[in-house]
Amino acid sequence: MHQQIKAQIDRVVSSGAVYADARWYPVEEANHLTMWNGNLKHASASRESGMGVRVLHQGAWGFSASSDMNNLTGLFDKALDNARTAAERVTFPIRLAEKDAVQASFSSPNQIDPFTIPYGEKVGFLKEMDQLLDQPGVTQRIVRLTFMRKQILYFDSEGSEIEKNIIEVFPSLGVMGMDADGAAHERTFRPSRLGDTRGWETIDQTLFTREGERIVRELNQVLKAEPCPKEDRSVILLPGIMFLQTHETIGHALELDRILGYELAFAGGSFVTLGDFGNLRYGSEKLTARANATVTNSPGSFGYDDDGVPAQDNLLIDKGILVGAITGRQMVEEANATARKPIFQGSSGANRATAFYRVPIERMTNINIDPGTDGTLEDIIKNTEKGIVLDGDKSWSIGSNREQFHFATEIGWLVEEGEITQVVKNATYKGDTLKFYNALSAVGDESTWELKYVDNCGKGQPSQIMQLGHGIPVCRFDDVRIGE
Amino acid sequence: MNEKMLTTLQELRKFALNKGITAEFFFHEEDSALMRFANSAISLNTNEHLLRLEITAYEDQKRASFSMITNLDAVEDMKQGVLQAAEIVKHAQPLSYQPTIPVYQETIIEDFAFDPDLAGISNSEKLDYFNQAVDGLESDQIKLGGIYSSGKNVIAMMNTQSEHAQAFTTSDAQITMVLSHKTLKWEVIDEQSAQKKADLDPAPLHRQLSYLLGHYQNDPAEQVPLGEYDIVFGPAATAELVNTMNWIGFNGGMMKRGYSFLTEEHLGQQVLGETFTLVDDPSRRETFPFSRDMMGVRREPFTLFDKGVFRAFTWNQDDADEYGAQPTGHDVMHKSLVVGAGDEPINTLEELVNAPREKDVLYIPFIHYMNFVNPSKGLITGSSRFGALLLKQDGSVVVPYNVRLTQSLLDIFGEKVAWMSDGQVAYNTSSSYGARNPTALVVPNFVYVKDLAISHANSSY
Repeated sequence: MHQQIKAQIDRVVSSGAVYADARWYPVEEANHLTMWNGNLKHASASRESGMGVRVLHQGAWGFSASSDMNNLTGLFDKALDNARTAAERVTFPIRLAEKDAVQASFSSPNQIDPFTIPYGEKVGFLKEMDQLLDQPGVTQRIVRLTFMRKQILYFDSEGSEIEKNIIEVFPSLGVMGMDADGAAHERTFRPSRLGDTRGWETIDQTLFTREGERIVRELNQVLKAEPCPKEDRSVILLPGIMFLQTHETIGHALELDRILGYELAFAGGSFVTLGDFGNLRYGSEKLTARANATVTNSPGSFGYDDDGVPAQDNLLIDKGILVGAITGRQMVEEANATARKPIFQGSSGANRATAFYRVPIERMTNINIDPGTDGTLEDIIKNTEKGIVLDGDKSWSIGSNREQFHFATEIGWLVEEGEITQVVKNATYKGDTLKFYNALSAVGDESTWELKYVDNCGKGQPSQIMQLGHGIPVCRFDDVRIGE
Repeated sequence: MNEKMLTTLQELRKFALNKGITAEFFFHEEDSALMRFANSAISLNTNEHLLRLEITAYEDQKRASFSMITNLDAVEDMKQGVLQAAEIVKHAQPLSYQPTIPVYQETIIEDFAFDPDLAGISNSEKLDYFNQAVDGLESDQIKLGGIYSSGKNVIAMMNTQSEHAQAFTTSDAQITMVLSHKTLKWEVIDEQSAQKKADLDPAPLHRQLSYLLGHYQNDPAEQVPLGEYDIVFGPAATAELVNTMNWIGFNGGMMKRGYSFLTEEHLGQQVLGETFTLVDDPSRRETFPFSRDMMGVRREPFTLFDKGVFRAFTWNQDDADEYGAQPTGHDVMHKSLVVGAGDEPINTLEELVNAPREKDVLYIPFIHYMNFVNPSKGLITGSSRFGALLLKQDGSVVVPYNVRLTQSLLDIFGEKVAWMSDGQVAYNTSSSYGARNPTALVVPNFVYVKDLAISHANSSY
């Protein structure tokens, strides 16, 4: 098959294409198990294989995909034909940033392949967790396990050949209950990534037992709590909500295709302009953010992106100043040409596709915030006069240019004069992105830093779901409106 | 429908029966094409032909499934999938209820919602449509974006309980056209939904986009002061709001799990405004309906709200099995939701803008990134986007920077509804997540709601 693919790439290039690549997925497997109130509602497995072909012709892309490997000629011809049509409407002829041709491989680190674990053992884990969560106050118990395994072989007309073998494990616990007004509340646990691996060995039963008991306890506190007040306070965001704040208002805002207007018809744009790089004060000096695809144990690390560019660790925001973006080969060339200066020094290796039948687009890797010097969570609370500690993503809604946002959280703890005083329910906060990050007044130290995963980031048309990560410390922001 | 798909279903059924396996087989075949525009160029031109097979195996009260992307020549592979599903189900946990497997009484092969001309539309025809719809409207600053998504969809199902099959073929096109200002970053939109090729007409899009551009290029823009406004929702906003009720409204299973603003006590009660009638009406071809649900139940018009009175929850078979309810024919990939027309003869944006008004009115055509803040209260939040207008009392028009609404559906569709248009439009809500599933709601052209609060107003575009 390798030789056939390379021969097809050579053929379309000799037919006039200036570039072509192919991603062949010999196998992609997933396994989803959901136990809901003791019922194994979903026990499913899936397997797929196929190929996606991307052809660049006269400055335009054509893409085609199929699960049928018996007609590679037809598949490559269709991609070239699609590119020929696209070439009839070109405003900036696509060109690709330089890269080295590589012959390489990447395997995500794991000790135990979750697909080797018997179903009985997996179901046994779900059952044990379900029983743990079956406590007074809990009306709904949801335990989930998702496993993914994919093999990707990448070839391009510049001579790169890359094989990737990636395994991911995504577990979660959730509980819901009803308060005296008949309103539902929820508390969830998705474990932070610990250690250096990503396999079945990351399912730590002791940790899940402890955290399961915690979310039940906290749910019951929320059920009896007063509503969140509507006022301005300092908000102290734990990693369980700060990861999403970062995801939505730093990560998506700094995807270069959004900045250049390629998502304006759907997902939206960005308030960031090309003139902002190196100049814009995105946040206070306490804010340093980076796109780090070299974190070993995160789904945001994949060795090489789907342009064949190696994973990298790049600054996005340096002590509050915007310095970088999430980029692929196409967009950096267009950005530099549009700005008439070299803003970006090559691709940052962040062009990824969710499946063989989708085209690569700029996606987050691990969008992390560096730990700060403001101590532990306890230190930050002690140094807060009037605040609220927030955790758990319940609802999120962001303006189309990522300029403003509204989040609801699962739980809030009011802070008065340096001490937690009470739990509140229906906690929300909202703000304008730049004003909010410039009000960043404390960043926790390494003891507060956690690597959270995202297994369902949506973007693009046709839509793509991507897996990635966020390494996040506790952060405090001042004068934020809560409770609306 | 491909005859080979039917014979493959029969072969899989025979294989499962010979192995003593109780199973369902569900094919989803899509032949999809998407032409995407950005910055006035075709940014992506793609197509995909995928055949998905989902096999669900049963063993007493246990259930498990195996799905694969495959092709009709790979029958041996599919049989391995049957064995995989049967292997998983052995290790599954019994449900607390007996899951129902449909017994199809007759074979249904249906393609009334399929138009080969639309499914097979060519690249050049799509490009020509876009070029006509924006003819003369682009410039150095005004850039075209959008999609032309079209394709053919086949779903076919059979199981070991009977020899009959169900198969439904549809064609669809979803067209979104956006003109955006390169530096100011505003966007205006118009859209079209098609079930057959004759539904396609670029002329109305050109008229609407021209009209919106006129306002966005010539009228003053401003930050809207916070406070209460009369708001007119366009079709996209109305469809998005109504669609949320699928999740946090009339879905019986979600209600039982506490994830709904409706309870059983609301049945027969006046919950929403008297102008609001909502029916799941599979007779409306523009909603891409099938005549049966996946359980083989004939789909009939099903009233959800009648002049604001809540009439019924929808129950799919699995939720009905679990909670002891009667299924309502809603084992479907999408419903056919139709909001009843009102009596106001205002159906175009121009008519709305020119209508006399007693106060400032905010026109919100589209709600971006809506989410549920508090499902039990029907509380949602989202931002305006894509061509909002502030219609001033004195007859002038201002372009408002985007605003945020954080409101309960009980208020939005409650007594505050002043009027709805007497004309309706099909609004395409298809999502390209996962398998192709063309979906559209039929809604009034405009819904006028009094005194809704704006919770945030942007200070610029």
